[in-house]
Amino acid sequence: MHFHHLFSWLRGLFGSRKTFSLGLYGAVNTGKTTLANRISMDWTGEPVGTVSEIPHETRAVQKKERIEINVDGKRLTMNLLDMPGIATKVDYREFVRFGMKPNEAQQRAKEATKGIVEAIKWLEHVDVALVVMDACQDPYTQVNLTILGNLEARNIPVIIVANKIDKKNAKPDRIRTAFPQHKVVEISALKGDNINGLYKEIAKTA
Amino acid sequence: MAVQIEFLSSGTLANKTSAQKIKFILDAVKQEKIVVLEQALTPAEEKELITQTMGTVTKKFPGIEVSSLSGAPASDLRSMLIQLLGGKAGLTVVGPSNLVKQIKRDPGKLRLLTNG
Repeated sequence: MHFHHLFSWLRGLFGSRKTFSLGLYGAVNTGKTTLANRISMDWTGEPVGTVSEIPHETRAVQKKERIEINVDGKRLTMNLLDMPGIATKVDYREFVRFGMKPNEAQQRAKEATKGIVEAIKWLEHVDVALVVMDACQDPYTQVNLTILGNLEARNIPVIIVANKIDKKNAKPDRIRTAFPQHKVVEISALKGDNINGLYKEIAKTA
Repeated sequence: MAVQIEFLSSGTLANKTSAQKIKFILDAVKQEKIVVLEQALTPAEEKELITQTMGTVTKKFPGIEVSSLSGAPASDLRSMLIQLLGGKAGLTVVGPSNLVKQIKRDPGKLRLLTNG
């Protein structure tokens, strides 16, 4: 164990990059893909996935590998994993309300359920987790508690991202009150507000 | 429309494995019942419940609403034995999403809102 710490220190001394996997989790439509695209565009110039107002746009894990970031002199390499939003129900009728045809809506629902199962499987396999919450919504939901409970059970470091602070009814302090055991960083993934604050926290945690 | 509620005590739950609990919950909610367990689900059980639910989603059964409240630590022998056998003090409410619009939670209470 002492040799492992000495080796890590030596690697750090010679500026060797540390690679880690960063998973973006959360309920549906909290802005995970918008954030993943923001991170990927900032550091690689390319997006990760598509965004839509129709729920369950991300229906499979989207990966962007070997994103190199440099924060306050610390260089890191991360594999970014944008997870499908987790939900306890998928109702195809919701997609029909957004104008989709019933058979397309049913296909989307089928893909969404598979995406949720995939996201849940990945709860055990990341090095650091960003749990993205909509700061305009009540954060004390079963989905958020299930995500956090499983990450905590695996001792996976968590940063809670209070997203959508650009909106008037955003209340990020409500998230801090609900989950005082975790670091909460408030951002707007859409507008880029405080995204550097998030990068600093990721660099500290990784 | 009459609402059916099935209540499972912590004593009954102590004799069930996690897989049996999840199966019981899903079988009941698919019959349009609301299930109340005198026990909180563990994070692993919550995860498994969602996974199993997703495997059963259809046009007619879009899924569930669920909320689990952790209770106080065990203070009597019976509660301690139940917790030793893997049970977690608290309460869990699960209902079909066609029937249950939302289960709102404050840290210490649950409020169930039905559709219609």
